[in-house]
Amino acid sequence: MTEFLFFIEVVVAGLLSGTMYSLVALGFVLIYKASSTFNFAQGAMVFFAVLAFVGFMELGIPFIPAFFVTVLLMVLVGFCTERLVLNPLMNQSEDTLLMATIGLGFVLEGLAQAAWGVEVRRLDLGIGDFPIEWIIDNLGLFVSALDLTAGLVAAGMITVLALMFKYTKMGLGLRAVADDPGAASSIGIPLKNIMLLVWSAAGVVALVAGMMWGARAGVQFALVDLALKALPVLIIGGFSSIPGAIIGGLIIGASEKVLEVYLGPFFGGAIEGWAPYVLAIFFLLYRPEGLFGEKIIRRV
Amino acid sequence: MNKNLDTILAIDNIEVMYDGVISALHDVTLSVPKGNIVALLGGNGAGKSTTLKAVSTMLASERGKVTKGSIRYDGHLIKNQNPTDMVRLGMVQVLEGRRCFGHLTVEENIISGAYSRKLSKQEIKNELEKIYNYFNRIKDRRKSQAGFTSGGEQQMIAVARAMMAKPKMLLLDEPSMGLAPQLVAEIFNIVRELNQKEGVSILLAEQNTNVALRNADYGYIIETGHVMLEGTAESLLKDEKVKELYLGISKEGRKNFRDVLREESA
Ligand SMILES: Nc1ncnc2c1ncn2[C@@H]1O[C@H](COP(=O)(O)OP(=O)(O)O)[C@@H](O)[C@H]1O
Ligand SMILES: [Mg+2]
Repeated sequence: MTEFLFFIEVVVAGLLSGTMYSLVALGFVLIYKASSTFNFAQGAMVFFAVLAFVGFMELGIPFIPAFFVTVLLMVLVGFCTERLVLNPLMNQSEDTLLMATIGLGFVLEGLAQAAWGVEVRRLDLGIGDFPIEWIIDNLGLFVSALDLTAGLVAAGMITVLALMFKYTKMGLGLRAVADDPGAASSIGIPLKNIMLLVWSAAGVVALVAGMMWGARAGVQFALVDLALKALPVLIIGGFSSIPGAIIGGLIIGASEKVLEVYLGPFFGGAIEGWAPYVLAIFFLLYRPEGLFGEKIIRRV
Repeated sequence: MNKNLDTILAIDNIEVMYDGVISALHDVTLSVPKGNIVALLGGNGAGKSTTLKAVSTMLASERGKVTKGSIRYDGHLIKNQNPTDMVRLGMVQVLEGRRCFGHLTVEENIISGAYSRKLSKQEIKNELEKIYNYFNRIKDRRKSQAGFTSGGEQQMIAVARAMMAKPKMLLLDEPSMGLAPQLVAEIFNIVRELNQKEGVSILLAEQNTNVALRNADYGYIIETGHVMLEGTAESLLKDEKVKELYLGISKEGRKNFRDVLREESA
């Protein structure tokens, strides 16, 4: 029985950390849908955003204003990306855009380190990485408060974003652009504004993910790689699918924890870092369109 | 047609290049009187779509550019506008191949046409009802995913979507493409109704010369970027050369106006 409870604990911890992968993957999906490019700068955006946030806090700005200032900064980054990188490259091939996002990633990493230095920072959100007593008493499970908070925040943001796509005018515009940018433009949907929206949303997602991850492991360069775990998530979920990003994130989160705990010892530990990529390769071999790879609808 | 006060669109001697080198239009001059349906006829590659995109400013996104001549629409010189500006000015293009948003529902497709307008929920609802009056066939399918509707329905969605922008002028690019004659007739009836009841001026690109001229007031025939012939729809329908070349009553070996003119001058 305790064996089983332990397994549940591992899965729960995995699912909770998976929601954060889902959220970051959602940032990728948005940009992928709007501009058909994989945004390699997303990892750098996570690093940049949370480093900026910590930087503002170090200047003595309180938590909440610092958060909103960083949100504004990320919107500004989105704006500059649209104006200086994407707009001039509009109508170029997808490969060109991909290279541009890789370049943007280096620029953001460089800027962040130039502005705020290279040493690892601590970020204290006031939430400990300790089990919650209530859950121990009632369910007999050890669930970390930080894991639970991160999971709930990510789930909340995913819900808000999903509702926005479905029910707001901007959301409708975004879905239209994702389907056919030319047709969207022909009826007066301004592609520029949609791009700006998408990059801003990805920026805010990056900030939140960076804060949650940074609170656990310190604000450091390794966050870039952590964010790139969205890549296996998307291979599993399908690049253009929002539900795919969500489910893919949960699968990666849960499976990497389970594999780490049960298989890790045989590989000398720390397989969390690469296990998701192995899983992704299996998908590439056997189901390249991902679980939710969208049916291509043929236009008559 | 001369330029008079009632001209909504006047294209004057335009030349269009793609990628700065490929010349697609050479000297296209045409005008659309307010409230009229004007047909732009010609075979594949003649330059019909290019002409429409020059007007709607959709050319820029295909690396095309108007390199000579001018376009005037409703008192505006069309130069540095983008498609969003044009839609705000009341000019909407329905692109060739319908281009519905496949993953959106039929109704979401139509509502997306109102993106450039600031409407309340209730106003959108009213506008929708008004538009469904013209497009009964798609009203029943409002909740279906647009990608799974038929070609005729998609053409209706595309026109309905454009109408949601409350245009003064529609640019229709080959609405009959790939549709059965009965559906083509249905769509052209709607187009004429929109023209008459809503007062929308229409520039219509078509390869289906017969249907287009039967529904238009005036027509232009273009080949390889040149206007070869123009006239009232009636006169074009009666024209011997048009009959021979575009209405399927063709002698062998003569494929276009240029050949005919060459033969006649020889
Ligand atoms: N995006 C483009 N880039 C380069 N050439 C083009 C492009 N679009 C059209 N053309 C060329 O311009 C000419 C006119 O094409 P188009 O306007 O599409 O004709 P139509 O609509 O009458 O079939 C053709 O020779 C075509 O190959
Ligand atoms: Mg065409």
